[in-house]
Amino acid sequence: MPEIESFTVNFGPQHPAAHGVLRLVLEMEGEVIHKADPHVGLLHRATEKLAETKPYNQSIGYMDRLDYVSMMCNEHGYVLAIEKLLGIKPPIRAQYIRVMFDEITRILNHLMWLGAHAMDIGAMTVFLYCFREREDLMDVYEAVSGTRMHATYYRPGGVYRDLPDKMPQYEPSPYRSAKELEELNEARSGSVLDFIEHFADRFPARIDEYETLLTDNRIWKQRTVNIGVVSPERAMQLGFSGPMLRGSGVVWDLRKHQPYEVYDQLDFDIPVGKNGDCYDRYLVRVEELRQSTRIIKQCVEWLKKNPGPVMIDDRKIAPPRRIEMKDDMESLIHHFKLFTEGYSVPEGEVYAAVEAPKGEFGVYLISDGANKPYRVKVRAPGFPHLAAMNEMVKGHMLADVVAVIGTQDIVFGEIDR
Amino acid sequence: MYPVKTFLMTELLAGLRLTLKHFFTRKATVLYPEEKTPKSPRFRGLHALRRYPNGQERCIACKLCEAVCPAQAITIESGVGPDGTRRTTRYDIDLFKCIYCGFCEEACPVDAIVETRIHEFHMERRGENIMTKDKLLAVGDKYEAMIAADKAADAPYR
Amino acid sequence: MSDDIVKIEVNGVPLEARKGEMLIEVTDRAGIYIPRFCYHHKLSVAANCRMCLVDIEKAPKPMPACATPVADGMKVYTRSRRAIDAQKATMEFLLINHPLDCPICDQGGECELQDLAVGYGRDVSRYTERKRVVKDLNIGPLISTDMTRCIHCTRCVRFGIEIQGIQQLGTIGRGERTVISTYVERAVEHELSGNIIDLCPVGALNNKPYRYSARPWEMSSKPLVAAHDAVGSNIYAHVLRGRVKRVVPKRNDSINETWISDRDRFSCYGLYADDRLEKPMVKIDQQWTEATWQEALELAARELVKTLDGEGEALGVLVSPNATLEEMFLLRRIADRLGSRNIDHRLRRRDFRDQNADPVFPWLGCSIEGLERRDAILVVGSNLRMEAPLIAHRVRNAALDGAAVTFVNPAAYTYHFEHEYVDAPVERMVHALGALVVAAARETQKQVPAVAAKLASEIAASDAHTSAVRRLIGKERALILLGHLAQRHPQFAEIRALAAALAALTGAEIGYIAEGANGAGAAISGVLPHRGPGGAAGGEPGLDVQGMINSPRRAYIVFGIEPREDIANGERAEQALKSADTVITFSSYVTDELLGCSTVLLPIAAFAETPGTFVNGEGRWQSFDAAANPVGDARPGWRVLRVLANLLGVEDAEYRSAEEVLDGVRRAVGETRPDNSYSGQIEAEGDAVQVSLDELDVPIYSVDAVVRRSEPLQRTVFARGAKGDDDARAEIRVQSAG
Repeated sequence: MPEIESFTVNFGPQHPAAHGVLRLVLEMEGEVIHKADPHVGLLHRATEKLAETKPYNQSIGYMDRLDYVSMMCNEHGYVLAIEKLLGIKPPIRAQYIRVMFDEITRILNHLMWLGAHAMDIGAMTVFLYCFREREDLMDVYEAVSGTRMHATYYRPGGVYRDLPDKMPQYEPSPYRSAKELEELNEARSGSVLDFIEHFADRFPARIDEYETLLTDNRIWKQRTVNIGVVSPERAMQLGFSGPMLRGSGVVWDLRKHQPYEVYDQLDFDIPVGKNGDCYDRYLVRVEELRQSTRIIKQCVEWLKKNPGPVMIDDRKIAPPRRIEMKDDMESLIHHFKLFTEGYSVPEGEVYAAVEAPKGEFGVYLISDGANKPYRVKVRAPGFPHLAAMNEMVKGHMLADVVAVIGTQDIVFGEIDR
Repeated sequence: MYPVKTFLMTELLAGLRLTLKHFFTRKATVLYPEEKTPKSPRFRGLHALRRYPNGQERCIACKLCEAVCPAQAITIESGVGPDGTRRTTRYDIDLFKCIYCGFCEEACPVDAIVETRIHEFHMERRGENIMTKDKLLAVGDKYEAMIAADKAADAPYR
Repeated sequence: MSDDIVKIEVNGVPLEARKGEMLIEVTDRAGIYIPRFCYHHKLSVAANCRMCLVDIEKAPKPMPACATPVADGMKVYTRSRRAIDAQKATMEFLLINHPLDCPICDQGGECELQDLAVGYGRDVSRYTERKRVVKDLNIGPLISTDMTRCIHCTRCVRFGIEIQGIQQLGTIGRGERTVISTYVERAVEHELSGNIIDLCPVGALNNKPYRYSARPWEMSSKPLVAAHDAVGSNIYAHVLRGRVKRVVPKRNDSINETWISDRDRFSCYGLYADDRLEKPMVKIDQQWTEATWQEALELAARELVKTLDGEGEALGVLVSPNATLEEMFLLRRIADRLGSRNIDHRLRRRDFRDQNADPVFPWLGCSIEGLERRDAILVVGSNLRMEAPLIAHRVRNAALDGAAVTFVNPAAYTYHFEHEYVDAPVERMVHALGALVVAAARETQKQVPAVAAKLASEIAASDAHTSAVRRLIGKERALILLGHLAQRHPQFAEIRALAAALAALTGAEIGYIAEGANGAGAAISGVLPHRGPGGAAGGEPGLDVQGMINSPRRAYIVFGIEPREDIANGERAEQALKSADTVITFSSYVTDELLGCSTVLLPIAAFAETPGTFVNGEGRWQSFDAAANPVGDARPGWRVLRVLANLLGVEDAEYRSAEEVLDGVRRAVGETRPDNSYSGQIEAEGDAVQVSLDELDVPIYSVDAVVRRSEPLQRTVFARGAKGDDDARAEIRVQSAG
């Protein structure tokens, strides 16, 4: 019988641990990976090309669908790019709202990541706990934007609507006593900001729960420590960003180093790893959960004290309020034109990036002065991470591939675009 | 210290204690469909076409919703109505194309097309994904009270 | 010369301008946009909208760019603080009384008021008082009015005065009470009236048949060539989901400038008439049944071959002059293959005696634009405004420029410019022309040319004739235009001989106003019994249209024609077709008449649904692509003909596109150039004239099948008057008087 030296395994795109439509072609010798070849394109929707055929605002909804677990951060990158071209700045309240929702989004993303990562490795419970908290944040999303995920909430010049004064509540049901209902609605009795504050208050204890289950857990450590090690130099060469970069010990966070919106006025720390392995990246992300909570608290505090406009007062870019549109000629015309043609953006090219949960999410826009972008290029943080797959898994065992996919926080929506 | 911890499996036991604790706390889940999670008045679900209280269709076929729809899910044909006004002769929304971004509702100058809080709908046969004008008006007629309340609740913010 | 050039500076950019030019003309040329409502480059300056106010250095206040002549050293700022403030203020005033109609207004999305409000106006209104309301006018079936939206730019008023020549709209009242009005309620009735729809910068005047049916942003704009007269106006068809929703002009300064006639604009509403032929139909045992294309075409080919039985002469081919060059060429090839020379497009012509003297490539005698530079034009036998509205418009421009325009017509048609009229009743048309020739010979002291010597003998010229001739003599660029009435006249040979004699005596040139959109194309592609493509002679001439009717054939191919309406002596034509064994009819519509006289009915794409090429009156080849989807199973004519040609065994007919057919036409036609030189000869005196003017003159909105089905056009005063509606006739007369 001839000896088989190496063989090729198709991992995905229909593998439950492959995070969406990842297809990895693995060259293996026994259990050991020699080469991992990630294939992309199975979720390609031509978002960038699509955006070139539409007025600027109409593509906001498609940005949600790039990295579909950090929706508003994608919107943020796109909207920032448009604002940079237009030379406008949203009102300060809108900036706080954006920062707050960016951080809520970060928590949403990291909870999704944590749950899925843990489950991939074998810890079922964490997933359930993470989704419990995600549910609350989704409710916040829905309360402000009307959808649990694809918000279309950020607009060039601010955000669509101010935060509502009432948080939706549970309705009475025959399966709940009045007392139970009251308990359920306790956090929901005030405004959305109250609810967020309430969440921020109880969330650190929840993080402790996750950590109880994982951080010291021997199985968890066996599966993550010294797996997928990337040196700081190499991480930079590979174009890593976000927790992937910080896990390797590089101090780099756009929120600190190129502050946008009001990040420079907020107090928070950026966690940095030491060894650049999956475990360090886990620790970094968990710490980010805590830091995000901190930022949210500061934003809530500010927002409660400072009412004000959430959209710039320029009807050439932002549609007029409905009440104005209905009895004011100029407003009606602007409403009509904005919803049919949109606004024209001055000629030029810009790059705007935000620190998305996965790393640097950037949008490169070229405008030829028309009402649609001439070219849109999205820098998805996941793409360079995935490109490093081969390097990160080489020499590891097959089971470690799953850990590395998890630690990379792969979402194909943004990679394939 | 570390070998002791390892030997006593403290970290594993701590985890097990946590899960055990959750055995006795209230469930985070609800008994759907008898019981539902809260929904905001801003919710963007199934579309509806509304009427004025006197029964007249609100829609004036201005086609702003059709123009702003990023997914081009709306198809409108317009013409001169029986009373000489501008009216739709066809108003179709393809629910498969729709991305529920809410732009149609934002664009509508007469609050005719709205997205309701209805999210439990399904299709059984090919073609049912097209919400025709009649279907949309029927939804609007049936849920007008709810729609009006939701829109009133959100009106101060828009 | 250098004195005429002044140097100015706009926004710091140095520009050169001719002395006396208005500022806005200079900036437009330089691509610097100044907002405007009332200014239009084809109309006079009114300077009443104040939107084009610009800041001129040393001027005490902002000046309107449209009414400020350039001066040397002028420094202009279009976006300075003062200019922007002026524009904003103007915009605010214009919007004060504008109704909140955008969502229901057809202009929404293509509205200059909207565009400029967004581009130059404020973003919030300060006006909270009540707005004024103005009563709407009913100005006919073509134009809808919403006068509350009017901003009083008076473009429509100036169009009436300056382009139509008849003022039908005017302003009444002052200040806030100003309204545009017809004074007494009546329809705006002019063959170019639809252009005020394009001129109106807001939604006050709009396209009535198009009302509420589409939005500008959802339609695709497809360039086309208008298919109803020899002008070949460039148009855009606005198409939504495969259907033409409306037609607007495409600017082409050498053909139609920015105008089109109402016939070209509103004919598209005839495309979707109820009687469109949607499926091929065959008559089997006197019963009409629908068939597939395959069946119908195979049957057609089989029946043709069977009926002819090798005798090509037994076939007659009747072709509409509105068919495309490609279709005509293929028909010619099919006729050749079947051995027939009986092919003709001159449906309404009655006199073919002198057909050998017809120009191979007839044309207007000069370019359409060149008409304006003529210094004398003699129009013979033409209801010019109805035959080719834009040629009439050019002739009017020439007249306004000082050209002496004279009409030799059977009736005194109304023209809104200075002209002379020589009465030439139908039965005495030859006589009238003869008198002109006599007068010309006398005035120039030359011999009457031989060809006309006999015709012009024994005729005495009256003062009117002398005066008309004097207007031609001594002019450098004189033109004699032979119109449709002359060409349809039973004594066309004589008329032309005399016109040629007159031209020879006075040094004028001869021009023809071709019938249909592609009359010239038909002539050069050889849809004639006596000539092949490119004018190739040879062989015994076949039968002309009247010949094919008078000695009925056993088989006919009828292309795009409704015999009773489109052919002179239509009743007889219908009888001839009915008596034939096989009639293959290509038609876009199905009528009782066609069902009665055809054996196979093939649905072909109508105008706007087929690619093709038209050769217009000035000899310009204009190709266009299909704009809309054919209705039902109809197919472009060239495709159907190609398959039929293949089935009949025409060689080298494997065309894959209309362009390939066109290449074939080009090769066949060769280097033929427009040329109207006349070398005819009248052998025999014509018969006594037995037609009335009503038979000769086809009403403007009855020229072809599409136009006849355009409901809005049929409801106009012109169409109703032609159908004998006395009220409508009275209305036309009232307007002629006014």
